[in-house]
Amino acid sequence: MIRSKKDGGHMKSAWATEISAVFEKEIKTEQRSRAGFLTSLLSSVLIVISLAYGAFGSTLDGTLAAGLFWVALIFAAVAALPRTFLAEEEAGTADLLRLAARPHAIFWGKALFNCLQILITAVILVLLFSVMMGLTIKMPFLLIVSLVGGALGLAGTVTFGAALVAQGSNRTMLVGVVCLPLMIPLIMMGISSFRVALGVGEALGGWTSALGVWFYAFLVFSLAPNLFAMVWQGKRS
Amino acid sequence: MLAAQALGKRYGDRWIFRGVSFELEVGQCLVISGNNGSGKSTLVRCLAGLILPSEGAVSGYETMGYAAIELQPYGNLTAREHLELFGKMKGCEPDVEKKLETVGLSEAADVPAGQMSTGMKARLKLALALQSDPKVLILDEPGASLDEGGRDLLDQICLNQRKTGALVVATNDPLEKRWGTHEICMGN
Repeated sequence: MIRSKKDGGHMKSAWATEISAVFEKEIKTEQRSRAGFLTSLLSSVLIVISLAYGAFGSTLDGTLAAGLFWVALIFAAVAALPRTFLAEEEAGTADLLRLAARPHAIFWGKALFNCLQILITAVILVLLFSVMMGLTIKMPFLLIVSLVGGALGLAGTVTFGAALVAQGSNRTMLVGVVCLPLMIPLIMMGISSFRVALGVGEALGGWTSALGVWFYAFLVFSLAPNLFAMVWQGKRS
Repeated sequence: MLAAQALGKRYGDRWIFRGVSFELEVGQCLVISGNNGSGKSTLVRCLAGLILPSEGAVSGYETMGYAAIELQPYGNLTAREHLELFGKMKGCEPDVEKKLETVGLSEAADVPAGQMSTGMKARLKLALALQSDPKVLILDEPGASLDEGGRDLLDQICLNQRKTGALVVATNDPLEKRWGTHEICMGN
């Protein structure tokens, strides 16, 4: 089939402007509903309170604390981030977006918004873990590098997963089924670098894992926009 | 300007329509009519690029505007925010105030779409469809939820569109059918 329409019939816009417009739309809709942020905040607080209650009186070792931190982060991400696509399908607004922006711009705009949301959640989680479980961060710079890379990797994977299942039934559960196996390498490297940041293990090992986290994020953002474009266009058939 | 060659759409084994061909030039208006379920909306969605045809091709246009009943604006964004954000996405710098005035929404510019009536939402969708000054304007039952003032406005918009581009309207309304220079009756 030969189609001479250019980009679905809309005028050319700079990628950065298009991505920032999608990002701005996500920020504005989230500001008004606060559904995604509240979901991740509530999940985080509940998990940390449960853990603090369970571990009452005992001191968590760095490796266990790193593992629990990532479990909390993953659950908060899987509960909140898919809303960016699921809400579009539920409200019937996806077509409006499809008419206005190119698939790659939609993916980047939504993934960057999700990254910001998961970073805020991660910061809150670190504070809660420090205050309620008495954790001390020995290598804050490693923690920041690892968390920013981890947030990018998580956001890219969950954004793509949400787009993949957005038109199915039991969507929220499906996002977890699709995303969790993909995130196993990220979780392992994230835990590894996090525990070094808490003072357990060799610094070199921690930095190598943090590099792995960033490589994962790079891989996700290299592949996911193209795969997303195929999924997004495929929904038209 | 807009052409369809042997366009067909099938869901499973059932053909919704098949063998639709036409060519539209500046100043022309294609009216697509037909009974409920005859495939009018499916055909306009194909022309707008929202769904892919099972066979055939659509070609020709550079910029397109589309408004339909089932298209939903974002409930918590205002009319002004819709035009600003979607203008940026489309890469056009529309005069937001002028577009709002064109569709009679100046007074409701800062009302969230979720608090608008169906008729006001229809006007907002028209403004979004018009914001890049499209060469081809595709409308699916455009007057369905508009009041008398809205219909006069729609008349004017369609008249202006035919001066600079082409128009495709899916409708069974005799008043809207008057705009047509060509007609496709679906289901026949």
